Order: sequence, then structure tokens, then C-alpha cells
Amino acid sequence: MRRGSILARAALIAYALALAAIAVAEEAARFQPIDIVVDVGAGALAAYQIELVVTSGDASIVGVEGGEPAAFKAAPYYDPKALAGGRIIIAAYSIDDQLPSGRVRVATLHMREVGAAPGYEVKLLAAADSDGQPLSVTVEVQPRPVGGAR
Amino acid sequence: MRYWLIGALATVTIAGACAMATMHEAAPQKAAEPAPGAATPNASATESQPPPEAAGQEAYSDEVVGTVEAPRSAARPGKVDPILFPDGNVPSTPPPDEKSRGAETSTDTPVLDKKTTIEFSDDTIEGELATPDGEFVEARKKTDHGSLVKVPDGFGQDRKDWQKGTPAGDASGKLKKAPRAAPTKPTTTPKPPPKTHGGKSRRTLSYDDVELRKQVSSAVKPVDELWVVSRKQAPRARPAAARPDTGGIEARLPSSEQRVPLPLKHTEVSAQIAGFVASVRVKQQYQNPYAEKIEAVYVFPLPEDAAVSDFVMTIGDRTIRGIVRERQEAERIYAEAKQQGYVASLMTEERPNVFTQQVANIEPGKSIDVDLVYYNALPLEDGWYVFSFPLVVGPRFNPPGKADGVGAVARGERGASGQGTEVQYLAPSERSGHDIGISVDLDAGMPIMELQSSTHKIETQELSATHRAIKLAAADTIPNKDFVLRYRVASDAVGSAFLTHRDDGGSYFMLLLTPPAELKKIERSPREMVFVLDCSGSMSGEPLRQAKAAVRRVLELMEPDDSFQIINFSTSASQLGKQPLVATRKNIERGLRYLASLDAEGGTMMTEGIHAALGFAHEPGKVRIVSFMTDGFIGNETDILRLVHSEIGAARLFSFGVGSSPNRYLLDAMARMGNGAVAYIEPSDAQAAEAVDAFFERIAYPALSDIEVEWGGLQTVDVYPARIPDLHVGRPVFVSGRFTGQASSIRVSGYAGGKRVEFAVPVIVDPTAARPPLKQIWARMKIADLAQRATWDDDLRGLADLIKQSAIEHGLLSRFTAFIAVDSSRVTAGDHGVSVTQPVPVPDGVRYENTVGREKK
Repeated sequence: MRRGSILARAALIAYALALAAIAVAEEAARFQPIDIVVDVGAGALAAYQIELVVTSGDASIVGVEGGEPAAFKAAPYYDPKALAGGRIIIAAYSIDDQLPSGRVRVATLHMREVGAAPGYEVKLLAAADSDGQPLSVTVEVQPRPVGGAR
Repeated sequence: MRYWLIGALATVTIAGACAMATMHEAAPQKAAEPAPGAATPNASATESQPPPEAAGQEAYSDEVVGTVEAPRSAARPGKVDPILFPDGNVPSTPPPDEKSRGAETSTDTPVLDKKTTIEFSDDTIEGELATPDGEFVEARKKTDHGSLVKVPDGFGQDRKDWQKGTPAGDASGKLKKAPRAAPTKPTTTPKPPPKTHGGKSRRTLSYDDVELRKQVSSAVKPVDELWVVSRKQAPRARPAAARPDTGGIEARLPSSEQRVPLPLKHTEVSAQIAGFVASVRVKQQYQNPYAEKIEAVYVFPLPEDAAVSDFVMTIGDRTIRGIVRERQEAERIYAEAKQQGYVASLMTEERPNVFTQQVANIEPGKSIDVDLVYYNALPLEDGWYVFSFPLVVGPRFNPPGKADGVGAVARGERGASGQGTEVQYLAPSERSGHDIGISVDLDAGMPIMELQSSTHKIETQELSATHRAIKLAAADTIPNKDFVLRYRVASDAVGSAFLTHRDDGGSYFMLLLTPPAELKKIERSPREMVFVLDCSGSMSGEPLRQAKAAVRRVLELMEPDDSFQIINFSTSASQLGKQPLVATRKNIERGLRYLASLDAEGGTMMTEGIHAALGFAHEPGKVRIVSFMTDGFIGNETDILRLVHSEIGAARLFSFGVGSSPNRYLLDAMARMGNGAVAYIEPSDAQAAEAVDAFFERIAYPALSDIEVEWGGLQTVDVYPARIPDLHVGRPVFVSGRFTGQASSIRVSGYAGGKRVEFAVPVIVDPTAARPPLKQIWARMKIADLAQRATWDDDLRGLADLIKQSAIEHGLLSRFTAFIAVDSSRVTAGDHGVSVTQPVPVPDGVRYENTVGREKK
């Protein structure tokens, strides 16, 4: 009798878990732009390569947009091979005469998110000036409110 | 005052005048009476009409069935929100014509019920609205519909509320006018009269759930009448559910007063050719000319070997690069973004040379550009490098029972083909505003001896001996035929070539393998020539004329020890004789007469032609050469290729593409699987003759088969095609792979005419060379090779996984991957609007009535 009760409870728990899993799976996706902001200081940024790490939650990239300064207006490239391995690596360079200094948004990543708000971390892989010299910069990620009719 | 609602079931366009005639202007009774069994919307309708499928009736719309009900009494329970006509006017007495039909005569509330979403086709109806007699005539001339108002047979026959009252139309499809509203004096200031055009007012209305009231209120004038147009359609299957837009509304007339252009305005093609490698950027410029938000859908061609590796969506001055995802995942993301109101675009591959572009949530008046970049290696055909860019997908035939083909339907008839992919075509009398621009920057690397296009007018600027800038002439910008540019370099410079690329991922090579001169020294064998002519409807006219001319020319060149057979196929196959005939003069003349008697009509049962050509015993001592002449306008390519693979045996299949936009994927693949070569016959007779002569010369010599390569000091892996194709005179082939090591030459060997042939190819391996397109082309060749295997290999899932993995790793579009781009920064207002499929012209020289259907007047 007791054994039957345990089994019944286990079955119920399994059922509940399955339902929860289905609920999670069916949770509506949402879209979220996140800005990649680089602080170059006094240097002039000519090239960068960064990696966006999803530290928690469920998020995937659905578009890569260029940044604010004219030199980085064009959409950065992403590394498809890295993406196939679950990593998001983007890179861009510019041969523009007017290279940005200070704090600039160099890209916006368009993300698809499901469930709780994911955690994001950004890693700088490389940054260089027009001579190819490494730059000491800081980089951060900033989710941006969605505009329009939402 | 009362207002009239006109019921119609189907794809509906509400256009032209909107009803609100005064009581003093009794509606003329010219309309035919409803035929037995037919029903007309009735003023007393109280129930929602079921969709026709539910009622077991004829389906009139593939996706959405809508009704705009006849006016009804306010006393009746309304199931949906009533729509008030302008000024709050309510007719207090019924119009005489409705009285005569026994309709309800009393109503206190101005009601226009809308029960479901209405699907509108993209027809514009223009007519003189002030004079009812003339307007119908005028409008009928200007619409695609068979009639302006058409109620399906049996519609509502069990519903008495639809059997009497307002005569929206009749079963025969004859035009009926909307009922007149009861005369009344407006209680508020009348709105200004409709805008007129030379004394005629033109108005187009569209409805949706949100806008109905507003639109009707602002558009309907007391002097106008409401017209409803429905199109009777054959029952149709739904497209495969793989597409995210399945279930959407096809198209809707814009809420504007004039015929408007379609969303795709312009395609700009910019190619850079370095040596024999082309990098091509294609910009598609979409603009929403409507007053409502839309999704634009465009099915378009690209070269079958195009390695599409970049995809950028531009909104204003913002550019968003798309991501390659597994196809189903990308489609899901696109559907979510579309549904939530984000601007998004999706590009999918339906065939190696047929693609679909979808752009969601284009707001009224806004523009969105989509840029894609592809690379391909230009084939070297009989001494000419060929750059071709297809501009239209030809109307294809799909054998009965197939649902995964590429359907051809008239503009606005979405889903009518029942195929998973579908192309809408403009009728001969229609033109879209879509035009093209093409520019080519050609740096051949060697002196250019000759350059020409027999398909288009071009303007050429000579920048140097090796460099040209080519532009499509302004007078030739209609996208209805392939653009083909040929160039020849100094003849002594053409030979095998070996190019390399190195990056972090490793080293890649591309080998252009040219047939050795020794082939021409080997004695030929007698030939058994089998000519197979596609005589289906799409070949009618110029394509069949081209094909016949080619066969005639080859027949005249045959030698007495050859034999020949002529097979023609459309819905079925027939042939000149039971057995091939010896090529005597008498038999050749007999063949010519048979050839002259052939005409084009019917379907394209290509399998019949292949069975007939390959399914009889070989004549001993002769090489069977099958010359397949077709435009390739079929949707079951895989079936054809599988059949060629299984039946080819020792024969060789040479495909000839005829017409202005042949299905190059099919023709190339048939030749590849048939161990032959492909040739395309262009509109120029001189080029056609040259192509046929080159073909005849090609088959005069044996091909080099069973080719093996000794790579010397190179260690090669992932070499594609996995089986190197046979080498024919005048037809080099490309081989690509990855490598390590060094070498100064490689050795190629094979068999021709029973003799072993061996030759060396010098190579220069530059360890620092950076030619990124080579890597993409290699990946695309790998995908193509796997896809070809999938036509006959049972391990479809395994091959699909390999293709998917390779495409994602290299960021390439494939059958199993897609590009998705979402602008998540802003949600557009309203729902996701309606889908507008971009119709295209039928290819130049192809008859619309033989391929798409009779044009509706």
C-alpha cells in the first residue's frame, strides 16, 4: 500500500515536471536589443572583436546591427563557426578617417529570449587602432528598451 | 436610414463605388436573377455563414473566407460589432429593389456586419461610379475577375436568410449591383464628393477587422455604390505547412484611390569577377506603397551554384546582418517576430536555384532593403567564361500527386497550385514596376579577346586590356529573362588552373581541370543519338523552335555509321520509330519530317521522356548519346535526377537548355548525373548554331572517364565532387578541396576510348594567398555534392545533417538552413498586416496561356 502511494506520488511529480517542461517550452519568445558599448578613452578605435556570453537563461542571436559612429555603422560580421559551437563572436573594422574615441556604441545585437531574463557578459577579444596597435578599452553590454508600439 | 451589406464568400475585393445611393435613385434591375440553388446575401441575415469548406461547398479562398453581410435589421441579435456608415445616416425604408425581393424592409440601425477577416486580392477596380450602367462595364474591363460580383454555386442554399434580398450576384457570375440605400437626407453635413478622374471617380477599399469601420465611414458617399468582387476558384490544397506565412492572407487592395505598384521596386545586381570567380551582391529594394502594413513575399532565382553567404537588412540608415540558422528554427523565429510586430526578414532555399524572401511588418510608405552576397565559379564553356544571372523562375509543371513542387499561378491566386512553393505570374497585359539594374566589374586577369551578351543590351567600358566595366542598358531592365554575359580570354592562356586560399580554418584549393588535347587524337566510336524533345506547353513558340533547329543541325551532321531516334514527350512520350534508324539520307529526311510535325502542348511528364530514351537495349558497338532538349520547367527535379541516376547505364546524357530562363539547376544536374555536359541555347541564332556545333564536336570525341588525381606533395581531404566528372572536349570541370603540403604539379589520369590517358597539371601553391570566396565555393560544392547524393542515397537524414552542419559552420544558405534577421529595437503598430506576394512576368518567349492559364478579362 505504502509502496503504491510512493509510486503514485512519483508519477504525479513526473507528470507535473513534464507539464512544467512543456510550459517552459511553450513560453512565448520575446526579442530584445542589447547594445555593445566600448570605451576607447583617448584612443581611436579601428577594429574590434568581442564575444557575447549568455551567462544564464535562454537567448539566441537573431541579428547583428552596426553601431553609432559612422566608422562602425555597417553591420559587424559574426563568426558562423563559433555560433555553431554556441558562442557569439562579432567583429568589425574601419578604414574611415574619423575613428571613434571615448565611449561609443559599436554594435547592437538583436536577441531572442525565452523565460527569465538572461544574463549577458561581454568579453573583449581584441581592439586595435588604425596602425594595428592594441588598444586598452573597456566594453559593456546594455539591454535597450524596445521602442514602438509595445 | 439604412445601409446595405453585400455578402460574398470568397476572396473578395471591395472596390470602386461604395453604396449609399439615395432613395430617389432606384437601383437599376439589370442584374440577372439568381440562378436556382444560388443565394444572394439577404438583408435579414442573422447567422454567420460557415466557410465553404465547412459547408461542403466549393472553396473560394485558400486561407480565409470572409463575408460582408447584407444589411440586416437592428432588431436582430448582432453577433459582431455593427459598422456605422458615415454621417450616422440610417435608411428608414427599404429601397424599392429590395422590397421587390422580399427582403426585410425595416431597419433602424445602420449596420454593416463583418463576421470574419476578408481576404482581398490585389486587384484594383476602376470605374465610373456616378453612372451605374457604365460603371460595371468599365470596371469589368479592369479587373481580373470574371465578374464583379459572384456568388458561388450553392452558396447559402440552405439558408433562407441568404436566399432573398440583396442581389450581390448570382450563381452564373453575372454582375449585379449593390442595392440602393433608401433615400434620405443626411443628418449631418455631407462629405465632399469623391475624388474624380476625368469625371469618373475611382476608389478602392480594403477591409480588416480594425479598419473596417473607419474605412467605410470615410470612403462611402451617398452617390456611391458598394461593389463586391469575388473570384471563383477551384478547390485547392493548402501549401505545405513549412512556411511561416501559411495561413496568412494573400493580398489586399490598398486603401488608396489608384492602382499602386507592388512592394518589390528594384533589384540591383553588382558583380565583381576576378579571374573566374564572381562575387555578386544582390540588393532587393522593398517599399510598402499601401496604406497598411504588409509582409512582402518574393520567390526569385539565383544561380544554382551560388554560395549565398551574407544577408543584410537595411532599414533607413541602420543595417542588420542576418544569421544563418537551421531552417525550421529560422522560420519559427520569423513567425514569432512577425506576429509580435517586429520588422524581420527571412530567406529560404526551395531549390538550389529558387529562393523565397519574406519581409515582415513593412509599414506604410517605408522602405526596407535586403542585400545578399554570393560567390560562384564561372563555367568555361567551349572557350567562353559565362556569367549568368537568372531573373525569373519559369512556370513549372508538377506531375499529379506531387505537393512539394514549384507551382505556377496567376497573380493573386495564392495556394491554387497546391504546391509548397509557388510563383505568381503577371498576365500578359500586366506590368509590375519592378525593374533591374546589373553592373559587372570584370577583371579577367588575362587579355579579354571578346565579350558579349546575346540576351540583353549592355554598355561596356574598356578600362584596360584585361579589365571591363559592363552595365545593363537602360532600355533592357525588365526582369523576364536570364542575363548572360560571355567573355573569351587569349586562347593560349586557357588551361588548367589551381587557386588556393588560406585562413585560420586551413587551406583550400580550386582546380579548373581542362580536358587534355589528346582526347581529339582518339578515334571516335559510332554513335546512337537519341534526341529527346520536351513538347510540353511551356515549350510552345520560340523554345520549341530553338530545340527543333538544334536537332535539325545535328541530324545534318551525322555520319552514316551513326543511328538516331527522336523522342518527344509532354503528357506522354512518343517516338519516330520502334528502333533507332541508321543515319542514311532517307532516314534523316524522315526524321526531319517527324521533327517538323511536332507541336507543343500538355504537361511535362519528363519521366516519360527519360524512360523512353534510356529504357531500350543499346545497339552493340555504339555509344548512346541522349540529347535532352527542354526548358526544364518542372517542379519534381528530384524524381527526374533519381531516374537519370538509376537508368543512365553506359549512356551519356547531354542536356540542352532552351528558352530565355531555363531551369539551369535541373539541366546541369541531369548532365552531371548522365555523365554528359550541358549547353544553353540563347536567343541569338548565331549563338545557338555555335552551341550545337560545339556539342557535335564534343560528342565526336570520347570523354575522359574514371578520372583519378595524384596530388603529389599535397595531402588533400574533403575533395568535391567526390567523383570527378568525366571530361569532355570544351568542358573543363571544377574540383575543390582542403589541403596541406606543397607541390609543383599534380597528375591526372583516366580512360578515353578504352585507352589510358595521363597528363600533368602544374600548380603553384601560395601559402599566403587569401581568396575568401574559394572557401565559400568549396563549402557550397560540398553541400551540392551531398544534395546530389541525397537524390539516390537512402540515408537522407544523415545527409541532411551533414548539409546542415556544413552550411551553419560556413554561414551558408542551403535547403536546411535559412537567413533570419530581426530588428528587435522597435515594435511596429497594429497586427502584422497582410502578405503581398510579388508577382513576376512569365519568361520572355513563354506563353502565359500555356503555362499559367487563360488570362482573366
